[in-house]
Amino acid sequence: MENIEKIRERLREVYDPELGVNIVDLGLVYEIRDEPDKIHIRMTLTTPGCPLHGAIVGGVRHALRDLAGDREIDVDVVWEPRWSPAMMSDEAKQQLGFF
Amino acid sequence: MSRLPFWFIVTGMIGFALFQAASLVTLFGWIGDGVRGPAGWFNVHLFVLGWATMLAMGAVYQLIGVILQSKLYSERLGYVHYAVFTVGLTGLLSGFVRGEIEWIAASASLTFIGILLFAWNVAATLIRASQWNTITASAATAVLYLVLTGLAGMVMGLNFATGWWNDLHNRLFGAHIWFGTVGWFGLLITGFSYKMLPMFYLAHHYPTMLQKAVLWIWNAATLIGAGSFLAGGSDWLILSALILLAVAVVLYNIHLLQIRRDRHKRSPGKGIQWSMYGNHALAVIVAAAAVWAMANPQRMLDTKAVLLAGWIWLAGWVSFMILCYASKIIPFLWWTRKYGHRAGQPGTPILADLLDERKVNVSLAVIAGSLLLPAAGLLLDSQALVAAGGAVNAVGSLFYVALLGLVFSR
Repeated sequence: MENIEKIRERLREVYDPELGVNIVDLGLVYEIRDEPDKIHIRMTLTTPGCPLHGAIVGGVRHALRDLAGDREIDVDVVWEPRWSPAMMSDEAKQQLGFF
Repeated sequence: MSRLPFWFIVTGMIGFALFQAASLVTLFGWIGDGVRGPAGWFNVHLFVLGWATMLAMGAVYQLIGVILQSKLYSERLGYVHYAVFTVGLTGLLSGFVRGEIEWIAASASLTFIGILLFAWNVAATLIRASQWNTITASAATAVLYLVLTGLAGMVMGLNFATGWWNDLHNRLFGAHIWFGTVGWFGLLITGFSYKMLPMFYLAHHYPTMLQKAVLWIWNAATLIGAGSFLAGGSDWLILSALILLAVAVVLYNIHLLQIRRDRHKRSPGKGIQWSMYGNHALAVIVAAAAVWAMANPQRMLDTKAVLLAGWIWLAGWVSFMILCYASKIIPFLWWTRKYGHRAGQPGTPILADLLDERKVNVSLAVIAGSLLLPAAGLLLDSQALVAAGGAVNAVGSLFYVALLGLVFSR
């Protein structure tokens, strides 16, 4: 559990460069699994075909590199359930001027 | 990230700067001298092909993968397209300056081949992906109308060179303009905005029924307008096309407001805000123009009315929309290229760090405001107003394009 929180904190360093909000507060991270041979992240993006897909996934891999050590970092981008603004944290909503 | 869009977008920015600089030096005299001569052809084609189409093609190459979530059919074909189109266009523009028919004919053929290569690449990408929706259908029909614009231009060129089909010249001229301005630019801008605007507003769960209505009505306006010119220019058919276009533009604006209403981000950025103002202004102007044309169908195709409509549509809407969206497209292009691999690392800038929003806001305000003066000048037959407004517009545009250019140094 402690490791999951560490991973989540690392993922807070990955920002959506258009929105300027980290992917955890945006509600893009659906699942974190810390397994003996890999770290598994199930996540989504704000819109299918998001032009920043590659950069954000690359950012996730980079942010988790030292926590993973020799283990694989498995990033699974899914479109179900579809992301919705209700998944954002209060901090993210405030930052975007959500009302 | 492919470099292909980068080449088109940078070349388009250079084309835009050249157009503004050339127009500044001559104080937009080419508008007053009439656009159906070598100086007019040079300026209009530099603006329409060297700036707007060049940048639009780059935007298609950049966004088609985003829209379809699949790769472009052939990147290599894209580079061949770039080379052929750019060489052809450069030759065409110098041919207009030098007034050499053979040179114009050869270069126009090359430019048209460039357009065909672009259409082939886009069509193959769309057919392979086979994901038909309002965005892809708008892009597909826009590219089809670009090909028809080029085809009409080529036939006009043949007419000039050989004297064949003299009685068809004006019909082809009308169709050439209508296919290009209404069909190519109109459907591409509206279609791509259906993807981009919700992204920048973070809009979700907005209705999309009006997108379909706009697509159908806009296509009907394009086909009826171009068809009526080709058939000999029946005032009533052209008026019908104009009314359909006004309906499509108004419905499009209602849809934009639906997207804005369902947003989850307060500000989409100054460039996008200005694109909204530009779209709303267009809706008011096109609706007013349709009402005026209904009252004065015999004056609808007067030189003054056509010039005024051309200025408002091309400079006031097409070019202004491209400038507005460029405030997002160019930082994105550069960020992905330079910083994409550094996402998640401390100190990596976000997109908003690459372009000063305050300067974008001021520049677009100056450009938008100064667009009105040449329009008033054309309306009042005042070349002084055209020159003064055009000069302010050119200075504001040059400042803005320099601001966009600075993104590449960040």
